[in-house]
Amino acid sequence: MDNAQDTRNAAVGAATEAHPPKKRVREQYEFKLTHLPIYFVLTVGAIICLTPFLYMMSTSLMTLGETILKQLVPDVPQWGNYTEAWNEADFSLYFRNSVIITALTIIGIIFTSVLAGYAFARIEFPGRNLIFMLLLATLMIPGTVTFIPNLLLIRGEIVPWGSWMNTLPALTVPFMANAFSIFLLRQFFMQIPRELWDAARIDGAGHLRFLTAVVIPMSRPVIMTVTLLTFVAAWNEFIWPLLVTTTSTWRPLGVGLYTFVTEAGPETHLIMAGAVITIIPVLIVYFITQKFFTEGIATSGLKG
Amino acid sequence: MAVTTTSKTQTSKPKRVSQRQMGEWLTGYLFILPSVIVIGVFGLFPIIYALYMSLFRRRVEPDRFIGLDNYTRILGSWWGALAFFGGLALILVAHWLWTDAFKRSEKASVWRILASLVLLGSGVSIALGWNLMMEASRNGDFLQGLVRTVFYGFGSIPLQISLALVIAYMLFQKIKGQELYRMLFFLPYVTPAVAGAVVFQVIFSPREERLANQIAGFFGIAPQRWLFENKPLLEVMFGGPIGRFNEWLASTGASWQWEGLWLGPSMALVTIIFFGIWTYTGYNVVIFLAGLGNIPQNLYEAAEIDGANGAQQFWNITVPLLSPVTFYLTVLGFIGTFQAFTHLFVMREATNGFARDSVDTASLVIFDTFYKRNDFTLAAAQSIILFAVILLLTLMQNRFFGKGATGG
Repeated sequence: MDNAQDTRNAAVGAATEAHPPKKRVREQYEFKLTHLPIYFVLTVGAIICLTPFLYMMSTSLMTLGETILKQLVPDVPQWGNYTEAWNEADFSLYFRNSVIITALTIIGIIFTSVLAGYAFARIEFPGRNLIFMLLLATLMIPGTVTFIPNLLLIRGEIVPWGSWMNTLPALTVPFMANAFSIFLLRQFFMQIPRELWDAARIDGAGHLRFLTAVVIPMSRPVIMTVTLLTFVAAWNEFIWPLLVTTTSTWRPLGVGLYTFVTEAGPETHLIMAGAVITIIPVLIVYFITQKFFTEGIATSGLKG
Repeated sequence: MAVTTTSKTQTSKPKRVSQRQMGEWLTGYLFILPSVIVIGVFGLFPIIYALYMSLFRRRVEPDRFIGLDNYTRILGSWWGALAFFGGLALILVAHWLWTDAFKRSEKASVWRILASLVLLGSGVSIALGWNLMMEASRNGDFLQGLVRTVFYGFGSIPLQISLALVIAYMLFQKIKGQELYRMLFFLPYVTPAVAGAVVFQVIFSPREERLANQIAGFFGIAPQRWLFENKPLLEVMFGGPIGRFNEWLASTGASWQWEGLWLGPSMALVTIIFFGIWTYTGYNVVIFLAGLGNIPQNLYEAAEIDGANGAQQFWNITVPLLSPVTFYLTVLGFIGTFQAFTHLFVMREATNGFARDSVDTASLVIFDTFYKRNDFTLAAAQSIILFAVILLLTLMQNRFFGKGATGG
């Protein structure tokens, strides 16, 4: 209880205080000669960060022969590698699967978390704090603990509902709610002034009406953050899809790339092309929403 | 606050309000229902079921109750486990005695001596317990996996957090292009771990023409086997002196040799640690930057007036005021390493199992137990122990750094 209060205050404080100083800092950007060593260190760091990407891009455009030479850049970019990898590993199927899985997961998360976040922030009901704490406790549980019973559950060995193996629900339903998204949305919803709710209630609106007409439009930034976090998590998910897909029917890109790598053997240029295909969608989304993304991570990460 | 208002309205108009309140409750329960079902079924239920199934044996015949047998198989000796975990608990006691000593002005030194003794005892207890467990365990993989997990954690977390702190501090110096740098540093974090691992496994391949060996060659270092090197990194780097040291040890008649796990992580694991640092440093930078934004600027201004230079400001203002963030990232990082899977798994599989003996952390051992050897119940017991270790670590970190962190 006290902790929840503290974090709420901290979040409110962060939300109200964090923005004005940021603007002030931005105005003070300037180039100073004394900053040169800093630029040097940062640039070296950035190069180290980028090297694997550049190496991947470069190798993906080489011929097989070039990949076993001490050559860093291809003589002639082999754009055909991408189509070759795309066709050889059925990447079009994996890509479609990943898009569907990710989209469904995002829709599910937003639906469940907005409702629950709102209820935990605004509606009084017995056991509210207890249930909230129980849900939050799941964040501490390592994936390896839950995967074992969950795999049996999906195989239909615990509850006799048949096997979910190699189906779309097996890949999406377990991820359709998580405590962290609920927590983020709840923190934001709690900052919405109570007077708005009182006014809406006088106008005869119920919770659902208030939620859809007032709260959601006001909460676009945080909903966007949850969407982006879910996108990256769902697109990059690996172990669980590996466990529940034994055929390629619903295999997502990550697992597809992994099976391709184990099958392709020494065809490094094609492996790298496959890696590029897997990474590109995330990078595009990241570059477009970059500011949203890092600022969302920053404010959501600083919850403790 | 809310409680008082409802009780007030209740006394004035009991019946209508209670009906309305029932409606309110119902709405609340309906709103949380979808989340509670999903998290309950796939997040909370598995814990209880894992505990339950770890008491059974299901490999040969279906579900034979065997009590704590699985745990005995993993831990080997219960006395060893008791000594080991008791030793860890003693560290907490020692810490409590030590901090308590500073509160008692009288006889403080006595308390401090007592604390040191308890700490010494905890070390002995941990070592003895560990030896007992390793000797008696029929399935030592998991215990060794735990050690490798600790290597992985201590190899990556401190380095990645201090790197991130320095980078974030530099970025915060009103640098031109701050956002570009931040974006680049964060890039590895959003990269799918599988794709990143695929690229890293090619870069750190033992072949001479691969990037890591080309860079090594540039600095005049002979080609290394990287991911395929099961030898400890220390042995690869200082094999000669260590060998001579061991010869000397043997000549003195000591039965102990500096070898095996005592030499630290294998080169293969260190390669994966690089990968981890590359992935997570940017995330820590972003969080640190947010933390830096919350430090009041006037503190720096005041320090400047008092004549403090940049380094002094960094150590006396930035580092202490960021300690809650550092604490948060450390806890998150350690929990993360104990759960880390994809990075390690894809890199290990790239070696066709060659690096298995030197790379497998606890979570990989668990995965192999249930996925490759189909021993679900033993794996469940292993995962419960892993969970217990994570909880204990979190508690300890909370105890050691938590107070300062929540205060700041």
